[in-house]
Amino acid sequence: MATVTAKMTFEEYCRSVFDPKKVFSKPEPLKGTRFLSCTQYILGPSCANYLAELGAEVIKIELPRRGEPMRHTTPFNEPKLYPLSKWMPEMGTGLGFFGANHNEYFLAVDFHKPEGQEIVRMLAAKCDGVVENYRAGTFDRWGISYRQLSQINPRLIYQWLGGFGGWGPGRKRASYDILGQAQGGCFSVTGWPLDKGGLPSKQTIWIMDYWGGMMAAFQILACMYWRDNISGLGNFMEYSQVQGAQRHLSDCIALYGRYGLVPQRWGNWDALLCVHGIIKCGKSSYPNSKNPQELEEGFILVSAYTDADFAKLMRLIRREDLEKKYATRDERIKAESQYEIYPALEEWAKDKTKEQVRDILNREGFNNQPVWNSKEVSNQEHFHLRGELEWLDDPHFGEVQSQGPAFHLSESPARHKWALKPVGADNEFILGKLCGFSKTKMAELEADGVI
Amino acid sequence: MAKSYPVLAWPAVPTPTPDEVYKGESDKAKEYALWLEENLRQSKNFEKPEALTNIRVLDCTSTMIIGHWCSSLFAELGAEVIMVEPPGGDPLRKLTPFGRREYMFKDSATGEEVGARFLAEARSKQSITLDLTKAEGREILKELVAHADVIVENAPPGQWDEWGIGYRQLSEINPRLVYCWVGQLGQWGPLKDKPGNLDPTAQAACGFVHGTGAPVAFGGTPTRSGWWMADQVGGTGAAIGIMSALYYREQVSGRGQFVEATAAAGVMRILDYNWAWYGVDGSIRPRYGNWDLAINIYAVNPCKDGQIMVGGGHDRLWYRIWRTVGKDRPDVEQHIVEDPNMREVTARLPHYRQVETYTSLCEWMKDNTRSEAETKLQAEEVASGGVSFIDEVCEFPHYKYRGHMEVIDDVHYGKVLIGSSAFIGQRTPGRVKWIGRPTGYDSEDVYRRLIGLTKAEMDSLKAKGVI
Repeated sequence: MATVTAKMTFEEYCRSVFDPKKVFSKPEPLKGTRFLSCTQYILGPSCANYLAELGAEVIKIELPRRGEPMRHTTPFNEPKLYPLSKWMPEMGTGLGFFGANHNEYFLAVDFHKPEGQEIVRMLAAKCDGVVENYRAGTFDRWGISYRQLSQINPRLIYQWLGGFGGWGPGRKRASYDILGQAQGGCFSVTGWPLDKGGLPSKQTIWIMDYWGGMMAAFQILACMYWRDNISGLGNFMEYSQVQGAQRHLSDCIALYGRYGLVPQRWGNWDALLCVHGIIKCGKSSYPNSKNPQELEEGFILVSAYTDADFAKLMRLIRREDLEKKYATRDERIKAESQYEIYPALEEWAKDKTKEQVRDILNREGFNNQPVWNSKEVSNQEHFHLRGELEWLDDPHFGEVQSQGPAFHLSESPARHKWALKPVGADNEFILGKLCGFSKTKMAELEADGVI
Repeated sequence: MAKSYPVLAWPAVPTPTPDEVYKGESDKAKEYALWLEENLRQSKNFEKPEALTNIRVLDCTSTMIIGHWCSSLFAELGAEVIMVEPPGGDPLRKLTPFGRREYMFKDSATGEEVGARFLAEARSKQSITLDLTKAEGREILKELVAHADVIVENAPPGQWDEWGIGYRQLSEINPRLVYCWVGQLGQWGPLKDKPGNLDPTAQAACGFVHGTGAPVAFGGTPTRSGWWMADQVGGTGAAIGIMSALYYREQVSGRGQFVEATAAAGVMRILDYNWAWYGVDGSIRPRYGNWDLAINIYAVNPCKDGQIMVGGGHDRLWYRIWRTVGKDRPDVEQHIVEDPNMREVTARLPHYRQVETYTSLCEWMKDNTRSEAETKLQAEEVASGGVSFIDEVCEFPHYKYRGHMEVIDDVHYGKVLIGSSAFIGQRTPGRVKWIGRPTGYDSEDVYRRLIGLTKAEMDSLKAKGVI
């Protein structure tokens, strides 16, 4: 085997070891581990989801019948996946739920009822960990938080996630992704400055949720490593969404702490490198499209930040005057220089589409990247070949296009088995397997609204 | 040009004390919060063990933040992270906003300057220098690799393989090695990275930039994130991949593996429902500014002194928001709650209903400052908060109290305020030990300790520019 791979070119070698088509013939790194996901919205669910991608058996617990709120969240109330559940076949799951619940088993349990809490205790006794994002203290009041569950299972790794955290002056405040972005500081550095008509802006993604879940998943893996190789002990962790924003903006905080600077937004340019910014091309790539998204002018990232590249770029756009004026990095990077350089580039690009600009820049050897929309991204062979995008033949919902995992592993890769399931789809399987409930018992619990 | 600036007092307003925070609450009401404080307070971090204490990471990345971000997460949880920099240091060290050198951070002994961007992710790491473009440098790397659990690199695709230090070769030396390549779009495939590709390349290529910013009708354009967001998301993905490989190595295989993580893959993984939506009906996710396509109310809108976020998608919060508004503006409340088309959660999602919602809400918010609106809404337990600037963030009482930022009193760089580790935990919390090291500060220690180089050998390598 080694001799075969040694003879391949590097490109062939990578294609062979990272081939997404071979993923299911390889083992899963978290095989044999089990987590409960007592979560809703995105922050908590995505955290458990990353573990499920790696092969953990993740049991997602939702409220019976309607399921969690994200199932009722979808852009403009349009796309939905039917059915919502066997009880509500006429309703569908909104796409807001998509992307944070892959590979999971779906159990419907009402935590509010004592019988439901007893089910959580029975399951936690057989789990490696619990991911939970209800209001801090709620599960404690119900007798199913770390303090009680770790008595049953001392090896339990319990990750709580939430907005402001369970202690401190803001502990009772509610939070969502967009609040984490806004009050955490992310808005204040994103968008155009006021004199360019801009306001502080949101990142399009529910980033403080989805990325916060990644941070917590990393911490869970580290705690599993510590438990299983070093200490044998479980752990309790808290992840605060608003804190994530400060972790992201650590360099801005350092500038404030030392110099009192309050970093501001700088649009599509870059405060550290020039030229390294996104410019507007004057023409739409799809002038005959019926979709207004495609009628917009194109945008492209142009990158030429070394002295040599910058000089060459200015000659290309016939601005030798700027080449001379801004010959050094220190001259180019100044704010007032950028206000002159980028408009010059846009003037040059105003009679071109982003593809025309890309072709010229490629020919001349400049790094660039057109700004692509989700259709253009979806049609890139690159992302499908590598598994960043994939068509899942989902057992419940048929062919769905999905994101792939965030990383590639040669020996024990992450993978997506299904996108999601209806509410309570695995009730019988999980309660039979882990709680030993009979058909009669399950029917009773269902009639009482516990499951 | 170089002026000296006094270190500003932080916090400008004193941090609240526990007595102030829990004043007036019954023992029962505050019991759980106090249990959390007792178990999670960062002031006790150094009394506790570290989860990754026996892991050694070689961070051989330079010029971009993705690899440094990834290795920061390991350093915060206790791994020994050694940055392997080219002689002269990672070029990223020299970058400072708008080239303003007076805003750099100086090593007190040598005066060497480093920019905030690099320094923020040099936390708790050591620094050595090694020239990998020289054959002798690569031989030294091979010796170091024998002692490493993880190596992270971001050279142009295939460069290390060509140099004989790719995964294929290094895994022969150390089969337990987890080798991770990080970059923008990939080290293989039709769009693989070119030398010099940096964030926001991935932001632009994956649909993020197209979706961020206001729609054309609102005067907006596609917009990049204000920081190197894609690198930081991609670096977090890399850390998860590496950590799962370490776990698998210990539990199952005894062997390392080859890992690849890109900024694009990281952001695409978390780009909501973009791919599914296109797959379902060919929809291109539009830019929607500071509103949300899938939740109403859930948006940032202008108010009297800035912008404020208000959120409440489901019915309970929806009516609380309008009740709050109605106290000042009963006409606005009445307009919304009496509209039969706005009663169902999902019925409120189409665009024209969002326009109606926020037009009405802004009628009220235009007369309220961030603080006034926030106070009124929070009285009804509605999630709301003003768009905060960095100074406001650093002075926000809740953040200060919880240690979201902390002053590192550093041997080299003096007092530096940073965003602290976000890994809060009972038994193995994350922590920051020092803020960074000057270029190559740890060369002598690392080369002696790990591969037994003598002083004379190091001097000779230094003279040849290898280390």
